[in-house]
Amino acid sequence: MKRRITSSDSVYVIVVLTPIILLIALFIYYPALDTFGQSLTNRNLRIRRPPKPVGAANYIKLLEDEEFWEVTGRSFKVVIITLPLEMAVAFGIAMLLNQRFPGRGIMRTLTILPWMLPGVVNGFLWGWLLNGEYGALNGFLYQFGLISEYQYWLRAPESQIFWVTVVQTWTRYAFPTIILLAGLQSIPEDLFDAAKVDGASAFARVRRITFPLLLPSFGIALVVEFIAAFQIFDVVWTLTAGSSAGGSLNPFTKTLMLYNYELVFRDLRVGLGAALSYIILAMSLFVGMIFVWRVYNQGVQEA
Amino acid sequence: MNLGARGQERLRLAVIYACCAIVLIWALAPIYWVLVSSVSTRQELYARPYKIWFPQNPTLESYRTIFTQGAKFRDGGFSPTADLMSSGLRNSVIISVASAGIVTLMATGAGYAFARMNFAGKNIIFLLIMLMLPLPIWVSLIALFFLMSQFKLIDTLLGLILIFVTLLLPLSVWMMTTFVRDIPSEIQDAARVDGADRWRLVFSIVLPLARPGMVAVFLVGMLTTWNNFLIPLIFSRTDDSQPLTIVLTLFIGQYEVAWEDMSAAAVVTMLPPFLMALFFQRYLVRGLTMGAVK
Repeated sequence: MKRRITSSDSVYVIVVLTPIILLIALFIYYPALDTFGQSLTNRNLRIRRPPKPVGAANYIKLLEDEEFWEVTGRSFKVVIITLPLEMAVAFGIAMLLNQRFPGRGIMRTLTILPWMLPGVVNGFLWGWLLNGEYGALNGFLYQFGLISEYQYWLRAPESQIFWVTVVQTWTRYAFPTIILLAGLQSIPEDLFDAAKVDGASAFARVRRITFPLLLPSFGIALVVEFIAAFQIFDVVWTLTAGSSAGGSLNPFTKTLMLYNYELVFRDLRVGLGAALSYIILAMSLFVGMIFVWRVYNQGVQEA
Repeated sequence: MNLGARGQERLRLAVIYACCAIVLIWALAPIYWVLVSSVSTRQELYARPYKIWFPQNPTLESYRTIFTQGAKFRDGGFSPTADLMSSGLRNSVIISVASAGIVTLMATGAGYAFARMNFAGKNIIFLLIMLMLPLPIWVSLIALFFLMSQFKLIDTLLGLILIFVTLLLPLSVWMMTTFVRDIPSEIQDAARVDGADRWRLVFSIVLPLARPGMVAVFLVGMLTTWNNFLIPLIFSRTDDSQPLTIVLTLFIGQYEVAWEDMSAAAVVTMLPPFLMALFFQRYLVRGLTMGAVK
């Protein structure tokens, strides 16, 4: 049935959509353009002078800056360690939750819990768990004779990054688990039955049937988790940034988002920070697209 | 070795439950530890080597401390206030309930328009709302900070609520649009023929049917707002608007460390999301996976 556009219809549309359009234009798109404009100036709130246009100087300065590349490398390192860790944990748990057993519902509920908690709390939880003086991990390992003295888990810069990825995994693994579980549940049982009749081992069935059919699910999970790990902030803040307000950020776990925060809101170098935010935008779009493209291609070839 | 069908089933369940135990330790051990810490006495908690996995003298002293004495152990440079915790709790509740409530109303109205009506510019408006989703937030945040200063909205609850409503819009509008689209349209068409206008249609026919969708939008909005840290980190300054996530980080002082009190603050901060995750998980998962899972 084709509906007539009546005047009451237009009133309805205008009333419900105007506030939304205003909010988004004013709070998202206008500031996004404004930030880009500022990235082309030397605005710095520490120096009392009107900002001057400097063209692409901020972008060039960042790309020639050692710290920028160090921080970028660290961000990618976090992503590269976190994603496989997360997918392995998620795949294992999804396989488990795909089995039929009494208590599966409550098991699913409890498994997903960490994902719903605030990131700053998660960073704090693990920082306390890993504490070198009184942390529970030390107590636990010591009690079972696995360590002979208490360890400072978060002392070495390398181990700080490692634990950041573990806590990020703990915070986020529920999402890929849910996606993979849904993927598993959509695989028809007859496929496995047929493979069993043909004498395929359990391992071969997972490799030849489960994995290829799960590729699209892995694809969605990887893209979303890439963005989440790339934009990591809250967890680092309370785990290792070591920052009560005003203090300086721990340089060993400074990722791109923390660097951006530091440039704009601690160093007050607004122009430079604005340029960084656009470089981050470019990087996440680029990498996000590579992921989608590769996963898509693999899916097409294997099918 | 032949176990027989029953034996095999038992073995299968035994393996499954063993795996479940490992997964539960991984998922819940950090949460359990902070709960234990928050009700332990100092002597027990700081025992070395630590062996007290069940507090022998559970106490709520730490909770009393954080609400009555505030951040006595807080880093220097701030004026410590005894009611930091209660103001944080109040701010968190106001911000998350108001943001979720407002965005639910807006998304329901818009969701109906996108799902059931035709009007000029429909697709482009929908696209502009959805394009926010992949946009890294920093691109907007920097200039938004200066905009909010001009509006005198820094460190106000209103400012935070406006930002959260905006950030929640794409997911919420998307959820309500798909939800309204799934409501059978026969009843609505019949009402249209009877001459009901859009407002009556939405209020008397669509709203009651869309209630589960609205509940999901509200819960997702409340959870994500409650958990957010970055927005108040930038736009809050004092206890006028600082929510619990910020208060918690202020409690993590560098000089005098009181882990039992910080644990209590962490438990208070995570309690509402924790309870929501236990009791409303189906709604939350549906929203947070954006329909990737029904």
